[in-house]
Amino acid sequence: MPEKRPDSEMVHGVPEVAVSSTTTMANRTGSWKYTRPVFQDMVAPCNATCAIGVDIEGTMNLVREGRLVEARELLLRENPMPATTGRICDHPCESSCNRKSFDQPVAVHSVERMLGDLALEDPLPAAVVRIRTGKAAVIGSGPAGLACAYHLVRMGYEVSVFEGDEEPGGTLRYRVPEFQLPRVVLDREIERMRALGVDIRCGVRLGRQLTWKYLERFDTVFLATGAHRSRALGVEGENLPGIQYGLDFLHEVGAGRAPEIGARVVVVGGDSVALDCARTALRLGAEVQLVFWGECEKLAADPAEVLEAEREGVEILYQTVPLAIRGSEQMAEEGAREPANTISAGISGAPTGMPMGLECIRMTLEKPDGYGGDPIPAEDGRQVLSAQTVIIAMGEEPDFDLLPLDLKHDQVRVAVDELGRTSKSAVFAGGGIVEEPHTIAHALGSGKRAAIGMDLYMRERAGEKVEAPSLAGLRYGRVGNFSITRYRGDDPVRRTGEVNEVAGVERINMAHFAPMPRRVERRMKPSDREGFEEVNLGLTQKEAVAEATRCFNCGTCNQCEMCLIFCPDVAITRREGDKKFSISYKYCKGCGVCAVECPRGAISMTREGL
Amino acid sequence: MSQIQIKDQIPTGELMSSGHFACPGCGGSLAMRLVLKGLGPKTMVALPACCWTIVAGPWPQSSVNIPLYHSPFETAAAVASGIRAALDMQGDQETTVLAWAGDGGTFDIGLQALSGAAERNENILYVCYDNEAYMNTGIQRSSATPWGAWTTTTPAGHPEARPKKDILAIMAAHRIPYAATASVAYPVDLIRKVEKARAIRGTRFLHVIAPCPPGWKTSDDETIELARMAVLTKIFPLMEVEDGQTWRFSMEHPGDPVEPYIKRQGRFSHLGPREIGQIQLDVDARWKMLERRVEMGI
Repeated sequence: MPEKRPDSEMVHGVPEVAVSSTTTMANRTGSWKYTRPVFQDMVAPCNATCAIGVDIEGTMNLVREGRLVEARELLLRENPMPATTGRICDHPCESSCNRKSFDQPVAVHSVERMLGDLALEDPLPAAVVRIRTGKAAVIGSGPAGLACAYHLVRMGYEVSVFEGDEEPGGTLRYRVPEFQLPRVVLDREIERMRALGVDIRCGVRLGRQLTWKYLERFDTVFLATGAHRSRALGVEGENLPGIQYGLDFLHEVGAGRAPEIGARVVVVGGDSVALDCARTALRLGAEVQLVFWGECEKLAADPAEVLEAEREGVEILYQTVPLAIRGSEQMAEEGAREPANTISAGISGAPTGMPMGLECIRMTLEKPDGYGGDPIPAEDGRQVLSAQTVIIAMGEEPDFDLLPLDLKHDQVRVAVDELGRTSKSAVFAGGGIVEEPHTIAHALGSGKRAAIGMDLYMRERAGEKVEAPSLAGLRYGRVGNFSITRYRGDDPVRRTGEVNEVAGVERINMAHFAPMPRRVERRMKPSDREGFEEVNLGLTQKEAVAEATRCFNCGTCNQCEMCLIFCPDVAITRREGDKKFSISYKYCKGCGVCAVECPRGAISMTREGL
Repeated sequence: MSQIQIKDQIPTGELMSSGHFACPGCGGSLAMRLVLKGLGPKTMVALPACCWTIVAGPWPQSSVNIPLYHSPFETAAAVASGIRAALDMQGDQETTVLAWAGDGGTFDIGLQALSGAAERNENILYVCYDNEAYMNTGIQRSSATPWGAWTTTTPAGHPEARPKKDILAIMAAHRIPYAATASVAYPVDLIRKVEKARAIRGTRFLHVIAPCPPGWKTSDDETIELARMAVLTKIFPLMEVEDGQTWRFSMEHPGDPVEPYIKRQGRFSHLGPREIGQIQLDVDARWKMLERRVEMGI
């Protein structure tokens, strides 16, 4: 017989059949950890490389969620003309897109264009109420000037823009061909800025109708006169008649005047200006050859546009160096390989250039196997290209003749700091006259930075005690452009524990994504391209929204719940109400599974106790 | 959307609570959490000795909010059969009886009870969470330990010399209505299989790969990645077998090379290129065999 048990049902403090009565929640297993996960939103690489400083990731996320109105408001905070940049920006955001390591980068520009075009259909906005006393003058209505004026007006200042040409837009109107940027798009975007209160006066050129004396009535001035002077080619025969410079040629076309060119045109150059000159001359009816000294991939233009130019019929001669331009007499003497046409009437009807020729030489690599070596002239590489017009597009530089003498500048640029301040108090500068790549995006970005600088300057002058913002904190990442949203401190995108570091590709967990091909924009067939009609037809709204779903949303939590599902300790929960995720550090053991499984790097591990 | 969305496909109810005593990054505890999401609160567990004996908590605690019965090592299937019989006596057909055992309690010690229950086609769901050794007692080899692996009983000088036992084929050979494999890295697939198994009567068997950071000598945060790589390399393919005859793959297996998977784990760190090449050959050969099974039925 077993011994009789005590009356109590407990043996050594435990009942005969032990039945649990409580959960394990009393155990603070969180005390085990030595690393701690935190939700920490980072900067997407697209944001950090956007020269304008657009919150691209935030915009893509709103489009993905179908919130198109909010998406275009977020876009318009930073970029005054998305329909324009969606068409002609060189989109470095796409080159830095983390998705390129997975399949192809997200077509950011197509989504931007769709949003920009939607915004064009919106009714014009009401004028911004002037809440500031300062008055600013902007010289030049190109992208830099317009961006500066736009941001200042939105901050509540009175701004006058002075434009030397008959119509506003600067380089957007007089340099970018209409087949890339239809004038109705540009006009409507400028109209929207005017509706907000940007006052643009055209036909007023600095140094002629507009004097520095007159400008003294403004509190501050933004110089954005751009780079219009073409560089010379520097070969014999450059002063012959029948030679034009690329920017002058495009300016004439942009102004609606057909410049005189011959039936055969040779363009010399290696950038998008050269390419646009070639395609424009083609549309004016000429047969066009483009001479470029480098290899195909060295051409400083969007490869897609190079392809389009070739499809349209521009013959590009790569690795060909121009040596001299020959007049008709010399041509006859030397016996050109291809005899020049007899004198033909210019396209516009007026008699134009004598037959002439561009003498050039084809280069080849010293070691033909492709492994290095310097380019050397090819045997039999000499040729003379016959033409009636030679267009030289060797790059551009600004014209500083009209600047005040005490403004510090060298041959090609005005010295400015990161807020666009020049050496002269109250004078700011940006766009083509400062040291920056000559792109539309950089111009828009420099105008924005100057607007911030001018705001600080004018508020200080008005006697306000201004606390200078941390400029590093305004940038997306370490080198991105300033964000107006960050400057104003009213980000509509909900962020958690934001850090200003870029979420690189190593932070993306690609296992959570499925391949999805990048959507390609429709373009008009080369045979259907007539005159200056827009070539690129973009994506439909549906396609663009689908394209936005390809975005990884690098660095920013979009509530996909991966962390919550994979936590072995049930330590991540979604709060009722604001739906935010929270980590219970009482129980989180710091394993780090959530940080590894986060598809977009929005969770970081930090050392416990620090 | 390009991201493979899982959030709306995972039941939100939680039957497991925080504060359990599993190691950081434990694949086995996540496996239980996901399986219980698929089964819901009408579940009773028979639990033999295994890691989960500890994870479930010391009396008077329990980390699962359902009845869980601790039982001797070799008896999971027998105890589950008994619970099932008792429920049947009570007229309760709704409750699922879950036998939850590790690889030791399934492949080795509990195999007799499991085989008996399967042969009788007991109406239970048997889940083996497989961390490929006796981890709870200090990483001793089991018959689930893969060829070449280090354990405390198969030291690096004499690593595991036998291939992993083909438990799925053994269970299929019992002609039970449903047997399947799953991975904690594929929660949607895992829960779909649990829900499917729940709706079937008879013996159902689920084999879940559950990486173990201390036993595999990996960092705590790699659990899901390893569970995913095991599938993508075809080392642990996701499959279903119905009635022991119809074999099916649950997804496309790209067949990534095994080397990165092997190299990430300290338990394989003594292996050279020749041994890793041998593992690749074995995986490829086994895959061919599985393809034949899928093609012809066994």
